Amino acid sequence: MAAMVRADDEVVRKRQRDRARIMALLLGAFVVLMFFITIAKTGMNW
Amino acid sequence: MTNPAALPADWRDFLALTKPRVMSLVVFSGLCGMLVAPVQLPPALGFTAILCIAIGAGACGALNQWYEVDVDAKMRRTAKRPLPAGRMERQSALHFGVGLAGFSVLLMGLATNWLAATLLAASILFYVLVYTVWLKPRTAQNIVIGGAAGAFPPLIGWVAATGHVATLPLLLFAIIFLWTPPHFWALSLFVRSDYAAAGIPMLPVVAGVESTRRQIFLYSLPMAGAAVAPWPLGLAGLVYGVCAAVLSFVFLVLATRVAANRASDAAGMDAEKHLFAFSVFYLFALFAVLVADRWLPW
Repeated sequence: MAAMVRADDEVVRKRQRDRARIMALLLGAFVVLMFFITIAKTGMNW
Repeated sequence: MTNPAALPADWRDFLALTKPRVMSLVVFSGLCGMLVAPVQLPPALGFTAILCIAIGAGACGALNQWYEVDVDAKMRRTAKRPLPAGRMERQSALHFGVGLAGFSVLLMGLATNWLAATLLAASILFYVLVYTVWLKPRTAQNIVIGGAAGAFPPLIGWVAATGHVATLPLLLFAIIFLWTPPHFWALSLFVRSDYAAAGIPMLPVVAGVESTRRQIFLYSLPMAGAAVAPWPLGLAGLVYGVCAAVLSFVFLVLATRVAANRASDAAGMDAEKHLFAFSVFYLFALFAVLVADRWLPW
């Protein structure tokens, strides 16, 4: 029984970790995107 | 064994909620609408506009699946989706869909212009409220009117680039609008039993197979006219005109074969399956040729 609970815990933790990683990647991509949008909107030439 | 619903949903299930395959056609038509526009956006803004169209389409997919979970559970084609399969809580899908919708509209407005953002918001609301909630469970005309939601992307792409509406993007809207009924009715003919089991009043379920086949042919005629129209109107060149005429001719031939088919079971519906497969290629090819016609020095 205890082993089953630990296995469930592990699955939950793994999914939380995976979702946190994806979220971090998406937020990072969003920051980069906002940077380029700002450059384009302000007409700066890079 | 763990109850899947008790676990946090896997990120792949969130991705599946957005219906990535449907999204590909939406993104492609939006991109084409943007590329045929006379004004070209800076790459970062163009990319953002297409991203917003994709995210908006994903929001529609998520909200559609949130609303139709009971119906999806009754159909073989959709029973394995995250919600009917019990891999995700319904509330999560609602929050995800609303979040994506709001984010896509806001980002579109900030990156391009608010007319494009308004059109994007209108298309999402139309798909979710008018098509999914109102028409789909009530009338056999669900696809005809609801098809307008899928016709928005090229218009949004064009408006994102130019800031205004013009004849060509309205024609692109008309092409997808008129293409949607033959495309979906061809599919609904050979998965008719699924729709009937789920209680969705698709045309073959309500009006019968023969009537649906006739309607497919009848809708294909104005669709072919709209597809060729940019050429005589001087909005596209000869290459587009010839390709559109050939593609539309093949579409009409396949629609004629569907109209002539008398099979009532899915096994005898090769004509419908061919039309459905070709209809996807048709739209991709038509829009690709329009862009090529605009950009390549023939």
